[in-house]
Amino acid sequence: MNMLDIKNLHASIEEDGTPILKGLDLSVKPGEVHAIMGPNGSGKSTLASVLAGRDGYEVTDGSVTYEGHDLLEMEADERAREGLFLAFQYPVELPGVSMSNFLRHAVNSVREHQGKDELSAADFLALMRENAALVNLDPALKARSVNEGFSGGEKKRNEIFQLAMLAPKLAILDETDSGLDIDALRVVSEGVNKLRGPERSFVVITHYQRLLEYIVPDVVHVLVDGRIVRSGDKQLALDLEEKGYDWLREDAGVPA
Amino acid sequence: MTRQKSLETTFIEAFDKDLGLLPSDDSDAWTSSQRQAIRTFADTGFPRPKSEAYKYTPVTRWIGDTPLLQTPGPVSATRLPLSELPGVHLKTVNGQLASAPEQLPEGLTVLTLRSALETHPELVRQHLKRVSEGTSSDVFGTLAAAFAPDGLFIHIAPGAVLPEPVYIHHAAVSPDAFIQPRMLVVAGENSEAHIVEHFPEADAGSVFENRIVGVDVAMRARLKHLVVYERGARARFVNGLYVEQKGESVFSTNNMTLGGALVRNNLHFVPDGEHCETHLNGLYIARGGAHVDNYTLVDHVKPNCFSNELFKGIVEGGSTGVFNGKVMVRQDAQKINAYQSSKSIVMDDRSHVYAKPELEIYADDVRCSHGATTGELDDEALFYLRSRGIPEKTARLILLEAFARDVVDLISLKEVRTYLNTRLGQLLAD
Repeated sequence: MNMLDIKNLHASIEEDGTPILKGLDLSVKPGEVHAIMGPNGSGKSTLASVLAGRDGYEVTDGSVTYEGHDLLEMEADERAREGLFLAFQYPVELPGVSMSNFLRHAVNSVREHQGKDELSAADFLALMRENAALVNLDPALKARSVNEGFSGGEKKRNEIFQLAMLAPKLAILDETDSGLDIDALRVVSEGVNKLRGPERSFVVITHYQRLLEYIVPDVVHVLVDGRIVRSGDKQLALDLEEKGYDWLREDAGVPA
Repeated sequence: MTRQKSLETTFIEAFDKDLGLLPSDDSDAWTSSQRQAIRTFADTGFPRPKSEAYKYTPVTRWIGDTPLLQTPGPVSATRLPLSELPGVHLKTVNGQLASAPEQLPEGLTVLTLRSALETHPELVRQHLKRVSEGTSSDVFGTLAAAFAPDGLFIHIAPGAVLPEPVYIHHAAVSPDAFIQPRMLVVAGENSEAHIVEHFPEADAGSVFENRIVGVDVAMRARLKHLVVYERGARARFVNGLYVEQKGESVFSTNNMTLGGALVRNNLHFVPDGEHCETHLNGLYIARGGAHVDNYTLVDHVKPNCFSNELFKGIVEGGSTGVFNGKVMVRQDAQKINAYQSSKSIVMDDRSHVYAKPELEIYADDVRCSHGATTGELDDEALFYLRSRGIPEKTARLILLEAFARDVVDLISLKEVRTYLNTRLGQLLAD
């Protein structure tokens, strides 16, 4: 069974009805890493938002099946408890909510859903320490408010840290590389690579090929004007880097 | 117009029937000051509908036409949750000292205000005069001064450092009655104390507590004050607090309004000496159609002082929150640092917040700022929490608790913080 099956997905912005996704198809098998590349405005972030269940989008046609279940029927928090994770392009600051309180709630919500007991305080702290080390985050952060006063790089590393804590089945990385210098990019990528496994799939959304040098994808898709216009192996990403997106726009009959 | 007039007349007639409006030869200082107070009340009258200070909170609407001035048998709070904490514990019934406290630490005096007229005549007479003439109270305070049969007097001797807080449990009130408590707190020179007042939930229906409190903070004294108001959903409260600080003193007050149908905090501060520090903070949760108004005035009359103000509110279920904070810096009050911030979260379309920060500055070398924000719970923050598997209800609670915690964290007593955090969790989870 596929991890994720997206068929003919159409979605528009709820407020004004602007169509963004216009018949998107995508299948992801367990353990695979798929990269989705595309120019600005092609619908990359909308895809991430629709998958994670963010308000403000309306699915007008098509289906999304996650592990055999209708993903679109589930609330955002239910999707997360079922093992879907979104690494935010712009992680949100939560003043007054400590990292440890936030993650304790998150981890235990997922565990409860899986029928497991709450983690003991000691086990939880050990898990935090271990996963913080994975992305080189200072363990002292547990007392800090979520993302408040974090640098851009720390925020992105924090997303991967949370990914590690929640151990999802399907992780969507929404432009995790944006705003990262090369050192931070390396740390984040190494963290992701350590978290790869046969049961865990990734959908890596990015504008640039740079990230894919570190997180080597199994499949690369190009999203243009709300549809996937071409899929290939990692060579496709290199071609895009060299030639830009315009040649694919023409192929797809979309004006540049 | 007629209705307002008749309400004032109701009070004046009740006073006349009870004590007589005219001076009598045998009257004591207390009764004389009551007569002065009712005259001031009669001259001033209740705020008119266009009154700037009361325009969002027409208090007389909550008094009704027939205030119950007789006090039927008081009912006790079912629980005094702070009474087990280490410290001095005092109890009041309808605002009056319930019994003479035993075993007070050195330097602390607790008396009824009437008996303090004998022991501390100058201090008390001066206070009575200021309230009765309306210089240290507004019309609700003078009304309280007219009717209060007695009051509470707390005195911290010069140089005394109280090792533990003084808890005042306002433990019993008469159901549905209009009661008028008063209190004077005097912190002597270079003294240090922490006073915690608790108004616990009591089955007292629509009891109206209209109280007036005077606080004199002498040179270099350090006084902390906390009010936790948790009366029932129909209770009403006008809380007049008038603080005068002398040079180099530090005063802080924190007002936690967690219950009641109407709460108006009238908080006035005059740092009347150089190098004073004033902290005034508050948190309110208005639910089920409640109306909570924090009215604050910091009147900087002397230079080189610091004041800081933080008020936060959560308003839901057709409730109303008001913040009206005024900072006045007089012409000679140079080098003042005065900051003010008001933040509120409005949980639904039926609820409202009116925020009115005011700075009035006549000196030219000062640093003052104010900020007021009112908004809904942040959708993006909510989604972030939910995207980590946290159910929506819990996510909301986490954000509201985080919002409120700022103010609770300003309280230096750990056990009280723990109590309040638990109570907030219960209230917000409802």
